[in-house]
Amino acid sequence: MKLLNSEILSNQQYGPGIFKMELFSPYIVRNVMAGQFVNIRCAPNDGTDPLLRRPFSVFDIEERFNVFSVLYMVKGKGTGYMSSLRKGDTVDLAGPMGSGIDLNTGSKDILLIGGGMGIAPLNLIAKMALARGKNVFIMAGFRDSSLLRWERDLVRMEVKYRIFSEDGKWGEKGLVSEYIFEGDRFYKKHEIYVCGPVEMLKIIQEKLGRYQISATALLEEKMACGIGVCMGCVVKIRGKNGSFSYKRVCREGPAFELSEVVFE
Amino acid sequence: MNDIIRPSLKVQLGKIKFKNPVITCSGTFSHGEEHMVFYDIGKLGAVTTKSYSLLPMKGNPPPRICETASGVLNSIGLQNDGIDSFIYRHLPWMKGAGASIILSIFGRTTEEFKKIALRILDIKSEILAVELNLSCPNLEQGGKAFCAVPEEVKRVVDSVVSMLDIPVIVKLSPDFETIDRSAELARQSGAEAISIINTVVGMAVDIDTAKPLLGNVTGGLSGPAVKPIALARVYQLCQQDILPVIAMGGVFGYRDLLEFLIVGARAVGIGTANFVQYDIGERILNDLTAYLREKKIDDVNKIIGRLKVEKKQA
Repeated sequence: MKLLNSEILSNQQYGPGIFKMELFSPYIVRNVMAGQFVNIRCAPNDGTDPLLRRPFSVFDIEERFNVFSVLYMVKGKGTGYMSSLRKGDTVDLAGPMGSGIDLNTGSKDILLIGGGMGIAPLNLIAKMALARGKNVFIMAGFRDSSLLRWERDLVRMEVKYRIFSEDGKWGEKGLVSEYIFEGDRFYKKHEIYVCGPVEMLKIIQEKLGRYQISATALLEEKMACGIGVCMGCVVKIRGKNGSFSYKRVCREGPAFELSEVVFE
Repeated sequence: MNDIIRPSLKVQLGKIKFKNPVITCSGTFSHGEEHMVFYDIGKLGAVTTKSYSLLPMKGNPPPRICETASGVLNSIGLQNDGIDSFIYRHLPWMKGAGASIILSIFGRTTEEFKKIALRILDIKSEILAVELNLSCPNLEQGGKAFCAVPEEVKRVVDSVVSMLDIPVIVKLSPDFETIDRSAELARQSGAEAISIINTVVGMAVDIDTAKPLLGNVTGGLSGPAVKPIALARVYQLCQQDILPVIAMGGVFGYRDLLEFLIVGARAVGIGTANFVQYDIGERILNDLTAYLREKKIDDVNKIIGRLKVEKKQA
């Protein structure tokens, strides 16, 4: 983990209100593991509003060019500022952060279940798993077609996928969580990673729980520091005999065993 | 001729000696392990640990963080692994890293403060000072903060000072008009310095759900937004000249630090900035040295209390 200034190679609209920022950083590209994130300063120079860095999953890496990218939706001042940056501008960032996912071991079959912007970390998992000769299957659900462009990335990766949208204008109509469980044998064979809105995670947790199928959830929480000192980004994790503890998304996470997460 | 000034940065607060006035605030630096990745924490005047209780505490339900204009609201709820975890796990690491240590502790009753003091008797030679976090709820006063009632501050300081012959720092909240009185009683009980300010109570609401944005409804505000409040509190307390003051509140650069020194603080804590600029401690230290050199000031103590107030007639 390092504090870095990275040059923006491109910062283009990816969908309505959604941008993909490509940054030059041999350090991040060399060191990032699946599931990790970078923490970006979203104010100019020493500006204090917005004050805190914003965490973004690494969406993709291009090792040949020492380039990595983040996908972000413009929601407030911080992401608004990011979207105003241009090619050649510099970004103050720190990373890679969080506990990475080791894809060198485990099952040969990977199932990725994503919802909305939750596809961002799954994209890197897919890429890294494919590079290790694993079979990757992606199921992803969206409200609308905002992330339509992602399908081109999927086709380029030569990965198997099923897309669902609530309005039915992209892929199949419906929620990805509704399509889960047409047969538990399929799910038992796979190592599963899930990322998306809490409502989706809750349904998947309940459905997989019925068959004691484990899955890894990649969680998001408001962070102050991103390095583990502030204890701000905690999630409730079930322990033994009805106990629980608060774990940091930035440090112990963002990946947690889905069945152990207590959603409130 | 070598005319480069090597300014002295040493400061002293009662019996407490710091190699420089740049320290970290409790709860924003853990023990320094995370920040050691970015710079050598042994360079700091002191590292104040997170606040430890007698037994482990789970902390408050999330969400615990909410950003506001140039500030952060938090309701962490003092999550920590208990004082034994500090003694056996973190203290050896901090010593190894060469950190000058201020141990922050809190209890829910005076009795708990005493029990923690008993636990740290054996390590007292390894720490510079103990900071009593007196903004936490006092169960014997219906959950009202210790520092809301100066006599309660006195009770805690009396009991800790009588057990530990190491310097005691009292950390107070800006939310009560009791700072002067608490400082005076703390001095009478043998405290060495006062740390102000703790966070300012604050709140934020989600207008779409009409719910508070913190799991605990209200929380503590920190960051540049509180700096003017902190500066006024530090100024007012320094005017009383009761005890030396360690100032903190929204320090994001060496200029902020200088403002606190000018109004009379003898050391300055970096808090929320540790969340944003991970190398801020080293940066401020370097910038302070460069400033003193540029101004040809050979001792940082010459800055302390230099405030010039010209009272003009209305």
